[in-house]
Amino acid sequence: MDGVTTTGVYALVAMGIVALLSAVIGSLGVRVARSTSDFLVASRTVGPAANAGAISGEYLSAASFLGVAGLILRDGVDALWYPVGYTAGYLALVLFVAAPLRRSGAYTVPDFAEARLRSPGLRKVCTLFVVVIGWLYLLPQLQGAGLTVATVTSLPPWSGAVGAAVVVVATVVMGGMRSITFVQAFQYWLKFSVLAIPALFAVVYFFSGDRTFDRPAPPEFPDRTTVQIRTDVVLQVKVPVNITVTGVVDGVAHSGASVRWETGRHTVLADSELQFGAGAPVPVVEGAPVTDADWLTPFPEGREFGLLGTYSLIIATFLGTMGLPHVLVRFYTNPDGRAARRTAVIVLALLGAFYMTVTLLGALSRLYVPQLLVSGDTDAAVLLLPSAILGSGWVGALLGSIVAAGAWAAFLSTSSGLVVSIAGVLSTDVMGSGRVRDFRISAVIAGAVPLALSLGVTRLDFSEAVALVFAVAASTFCPLLVLGIWWRGLTDVGAIAGVLVGGFLSAGAVALSLAGLGGTGALGVLLYRPALVSVPAAFLTMAIISKLTSRRRPADAEQVLLRLHAPERLGLSRDRLAERVRKAPT
Amino acid sequence: MSTTSERSTRTIYEQVQESPEFTQLRSRLRRFVFPMSAAFLIWYLAYVLMASYLPGFMATKVFGNINVGLLIGLMQFVTTFAITTIYVRYADKHLDPAAERIRKHIEGGA
Repeated sequence: MDGVTTTGVYALVAMGIVALLSAVIGSLGVRVARSTSDFLVASRTVGPAANAGAISGEYLSAASFLGVAGLILRDGVDALWYPVGYTAGYLALVLFVAAPLRRSGAYTVPDFAEARLRSPGLRKVCTLFVVVIGWLYLLPQLQGAGLTVATVTSLPPWSGAVGAAVVVVATVVMGGMRSITFVQAFQYWLKFSVLAIPALFAVVYFFSGDRTFDRPAPPEFPDRTTVQIRTDVVLQVKVPVNITVTGVVDGVAHSGASVRWETGRHTVLADSELQFGAGAPVPVVEGAPVTDADWLTPFPEGREFGLLGTYSLIIATFLGTMGLPHVLVRFYTNPDGRAARRTAVIVLALLGAFYMTVTLLGALSRLYVPQLLVSGDTDAAVLLLPSAILGSGWVGALLGSIVAAGAWAAFLSTSSGLVVSIAGVLSTDVMGSGRVRDFRISAVIAGAVPLALSLGVTRLDFSEAVALVFAVAASTFCPLLVLGIWWRGLTDVGAIAGVLVGGFLSAGAVALSLAGLGGTGALGVLLYRPALVSVPAAFLTMAIISKLTSRRRPADAEQVLLRLHAPERLGLSRDRLAERVRKAPT
Repeated sequence: MSTTSERSTRTIYEQVQESPEFTQLRSRLRRFVFPMSAAFLIWYLAYVLMASYLPGFMATKVFGNINVGLLIGLMQFVTTFAITTIYVRYADKHLDPAAERIRKHIEGGA
């Protein structure tokens, strides 16, 4: 317990420094900001390297920093699809929409929708979904901040969520986008170096020891370990194990009694404490592969419709990235298309390096922190790994607190980007002016709503929660952007119908499955991962309704498409933002 | 004032749109983007198929804890990066010069 407290103090200090540094870099930037356009798109004068750092910093959220390692720890190779999909989605964004969208001069989906189809109705629908997607995405970020604070200190989870929300909204209100760019770039490098250090330590340990993964047996506890169970769990036991139990196990209350678990399933109620000896086989939460060999095998027995679920996940992440509001707006901060492409290559390198590091950490946590497989809190793996490897002395405590600070940076950066995007849309479309004061009020609203939600809703695994948001984005904005950019036949009615069909199918399916109505068959898998059905449905609806309403095709569709695909150097692209700022009353 | 600028842009639009260079530029972009995305998606989906129907092959040991499946899995990151690099090279080599030619054409014609 002593180690926890030391780490806790160090961690709080480290997180405070990150928050302070973000605010300081943010306020330095604010002096450069001159008008609303500076705030929102950083004047398009940010260099490719800083911009790539910012894009990656913003993109790597709680789901990437904590969630990916957590899923790798629990699900093994099947979880590789999350990081691969998050990276691939970025490529789809670059290939299909990045350059044309830059040329359109629209820096949000509602702007694009209006420029392309001149429909206020479509603009409203898009605004609604930007806000919905943004809020859903903010939810796991704030809950991640809560989990981090609760794991490394003994403070309650809500304090972390509230702290993160306050810091984010304050930074956005003070600095706007220009400053955010440098804050984000700083935070990417913080996140990456913070994980690279324990990863290096871990690799050294890994290769010096004689541990191996490929065993047909469950993982083993490296030391005598006490596991606190916070929520009711069902555990799978493959090899009989002796435990000291305090709490309710298999319907019987114990107080420090020695119990032998035979092969099979065992139920443990919340607030129990299980103590395992060194070398004891690890019981694993229901639904996860038990033995190390199964963990290394794709779609192990017992996971039905793995192929269906994985395909649906790939579609969601591949096509969903382009619909995320905070990712899209970043491309506008490049001075021209060439710089945008250079930025994209650097981003892919940064993302790839980061995801390989987290994947490695996830695999190593199976050796060093297997107790998370018992409690089910696998998202905490990255946070606990340093002290598990290095012991609870000052080195372990220091490294642990640095990692906690990195996690904190992950929530701050993604949340800032989301709050900027939501506030931008709220201030221009709902409040109607886009002035700086309205932008600031909108930023407060953009942060307050998900904070209230995060305190009330039970937590999902971060990567899974984020994958749900990707499914909604892939089913709404992806068809709109791709068809809008590449097909002249799109009409406003078709676009509205498609976005609504995709949005309701994906969000509705997820809501049904979260309410427990899914079951385990193919239908259950599709309700939980709806993209395989909802994305084609949205595309089809958009295409068919557009064909039926082809008289509503905008007269200038050809011209707009030409502007989207003509190279920038022709000088045809129009700076919509500059126009708006000129028109806006000051 | 805005009417005149609208009118003059419109002429440029028409000029560009009719030019064979622009048609060529657009088809070059399409010929690259769509097949590349298709190839890329097929490579991903094929990996998942291999993982579920050829578990023996995927479990072949390469060295230490590393098996074929894991290697191909990590290759996904590498291919993603490779495709982006190829795209950027292609754009620098084929798309930008084509754009330059169109600009010269317009400036010469105007």
